[in-house]
Amino acid sequence: MASAAYRGLEGISPARAGRIGAGEDEVPPHRRSRLRKARNRLLGQTALGLSCNLLLYLSLSYLLGPVFIPYRNQTSGLLLLFIALPFLIVQWINWVQACKGIAELGIVGTFSKTQLESVETRRMAMGEELKDSQPYIDVMHDQIGDSLAESEREVVEVIEQIGILNAKANGQREHIARSIKSGTELTESTHTRVENNKQIIVAIDMQLESQIEEFRNNFERIEGLANEVRALTPLIKVITSIAQQTSLLALNAEIEAARAGSAGRGFAVVAFEVRKLAVSSTQAAADITTKIHATCKKVDGEMAEARESLEQHEASSAMSHLVTDLGEMQSEFAKNGQLLLEVITEVDANYAESVVRLSQALGHIQFQDVMRQRMEHVQEALKEMRDHLQNMSEWAFDFTWKGDLGHHFKGMLEAHKGRYRMASQTVTHLAATGGKSDGDHSRPAIELF
Amino acid sequence: MAKTVLVVDDSVTMVMSLKTTLTMSGFEVETANNGQVALDKLNAGIKPHLILTDVNMPVMGGLELIGKVRALPAFRFIPILTLTTESEASKRDEGKRAGATGWLVKPVGGNDLIAVIKKVLPGA
Repeated sequence: MASAAYRGLEGISPARAGRIGAGEDEVPPHRRSRLRKARNRLLGQTALGLSCNLLLYLSLSYLLGPVFIPYRNQTSGLLLLFIALPFLIVQWINWVQACKGIAELGIVGTFSKTQLESVETRRMAMGEELKDSQPYIDVMHDQIGDSLAESEREVVEVIEQIGILNAKANGQREHIARSIKSGTELTESTHTRVENNKQIIVAIDMQLESQIEEFRNNFERIEGLANEVRALTPLIKVITSIAQQTSLLALNAEIEAARAGSAGRGFAVVAFEVRKLAVSSTQAAADITTKIHATCKKVDGEMAEARESLEQHEASSAMSHLVTDLGEMQSEFAKNGQLLLEVITEVDANYAESVVRLSQALGHIQFQDVMRQRMEHVQEALKEMRDHLQNMSEWAFDFTWKGDLGHHFKGMLEAHKGRYRMASQTVTHLAATGGKSDGDHSRPAIELF
Repeated sequence: MAKTVLVVDDSVTMVMSLKTTLTMSGFEVETANNGQVALDKLNAGIKPHLILTDVNMPVMGGLELIGKVRALPAFRFIPILTLTTESEASKRDEGKRAGATGWLVKPVGGNDLIAVIKKVLPGA
């Protein structure tokens, strides 16, 4: 009995229809008079129908026999019930339908034709809009999918870079470690060699010291000898003086011999020979003096050079300096080796720390997978919403639809709670909707069985 | 000698991040993108010292993999850790019944992961 325009309201319960039919609650006051008229008209029609049926029954009874007379036998009574009961049932159904009709009139039936057309237009528009939600949701779904793919690519790139960085740092560390190892070996080898060289140098130094000492002794001896030779010079002067005096005496003797004539001839020869000897002695003494002077001069020159050389040797102490230098060099090597060892230890510690930090960073990168799964859940929800809206869109155009939505947003939202994998999903859901979680996410993040 | 870990996860980022983390800490790493691939690798002869698996994966999930690995005599006692977003208690109990050694909920810091692995894998 309801028209196609208000088919969509067939799900209303008779109790509610009764309330609406009575003009309570949902019916606005300005529509109550129209509703009351419609109800009275329907009641009148129902009463008229009942009356007509009763008249028909009486007419038939009169024509077919007096079965309606109360004092007839029991069979006639049963026959009466058998005939009357279907009529009563049909009338009751008619009454219920009338109530429903009244209820529908309470909502829609009181609209004017223009209003009904407006409702129809809106229904059509809503249907179209629901239909158009599909590409909208599909785009949003794909946007999420593409964002996830993009973030995955970027995260993969980040992980690769971290891997490369770590490999390089590790390679550098190993390289430094190898360098330090060879450096340490070199230092140890140098240390050993320096120790050996130091012993050799000490031996050479001692040898040199001994030679210098011997040289010094020889020098002193030569110097003493030179002084002794130099001490002969006055003696030569004495000899020269004696020779000159002898020569003078010989000359006087020669003069005296000449004065003596032939008797002094022999003596004159002796005096001449003595004077010649004295001259030769003077000459020899002069030669000796010259040679002594030359020798002394030469000895002095050699001594000066030797002294200078000795002083230089004593001043330089070259070998001991060399030993000291080698010792200092060894200390420097050891110090640098220690420094390098400290550097590699620090590099090693820094590397270990960077591994720890990179590991933590990589752990945080797992958020991408967590986010991906949450977004995939949202994508599923979007698809569910899209399908639901498409169904609603089809129902909006389907005049044979019986009003069963199948799914409801409320039910779908509730169903999500059971499909959440993560506590964070449940927390977000409950923060938005309130209520309690069905699941138990209270156990620790790391659990060993 | 470096210990080998078999990482099973369908997420590329997870596989890569876990591989890098474990390699940095001195482990050798084998990977598989679902339970079936992991099982095939085990049957092909790889001998990991530990399996680190996700739970929700295509083709074969982590819990099914654990059950099948436990059925292999060579891997009956191998430590198997699950690393998953699933934090529900019922899922954890399911994993425990399947034979998992431990349950780790993502995200897990690299150092915590290494600490857990060293705990269940003495000598690592």
